Amino acid sequence: MGALFCDRPDRAKTQGKHMAKTRVLVEFGMGTSLRREDYTEAALRAIKDALWHNSVNMAELFDFPKEAMIIDVEVGVQQPDKVDTETLKAIFPYGQPNITVTEGGLDIDKPHTDGRTVIANAAVIVSFDMEPAQ
Amino acid sequence: MTEKRIILEMGTGNDLYGQDYTKAACRAVQDALHHSSITLFSKLGIDHKEMRVQVTIAVQDPDQVDCDRVAADLPRGRAEVRAVKGGLDVVDDAAGTRHVVAAAAIEAFVPDLAGKYVQS
Repeated sequence: MGALFCDRPDRAKTQGKHMAKTRVLVEFGMGTSLRREDYTEAALRAIKDALWHNSVNMAELFDFPKEAMIIDVEVGVQQPDKVDTETLKAIFPYGQPNITVTEGGLDIDKPHTDGRTVIANAAVIVSFDMEPAQ
Repeated sequence: MTEKRIILEMGTGNDLYGQDYTKAACRAVQDALHHSSITLFSKLGIDHKEMRVQVTIAVQDPDQVDCDRVAADLPRGRAEVRAVKGGLDVVDDAAGTRHVVAAAAIEAFVPDLAGKYVQS
């Protein structure tokens, strides 16, 4: 990832100026589903693990409104198709998080019975569209 | 210059068999540190030495925490470490064992950046 990047070319074009999406914080977490093989629940717990280890005041640092925070969530599980991203969005109190689920995490087969234990990895990325004041 | 707290990182660590409060404290600090990465320093060209780091360790016997040793585990910013009574000891009197659990709170403060940047 470059030092400065922009994934909103539409807005950049319409406003006719350089947009700088700046990543200020990344939070990490892990979650599991021990018995139900519930990939959404594991992902949810991973995101909560990432969020609830940190109390963040990034918007206040710049005097930006909290709603200016751009939240990108990356989740890794072995079966990405089984994750319901709408359920994951519900835990964020403001803003519209952009959630990406990729193949990752870890599944471990149970040794004596059918089924597996599911581990999800999550990263919550906080960015602002910002530029130096003139 | 006024400063603002940008993050409170929280973690827990234990020493299961050695009753070493400093080891539990260091593990709590590692747990707190590694649940986030503050990328704004490199993105905005801010020297991490401008960050003041206030670490509070809670264990049942705070006098046994080597705060200088804990401070050595904080690679960025100017760290100050204090120990207070808290955490949790889990004692098994029948077996004569004690598991010691530490809580860590790491607060990061940086100079106020209000007005230095605008939303784009």
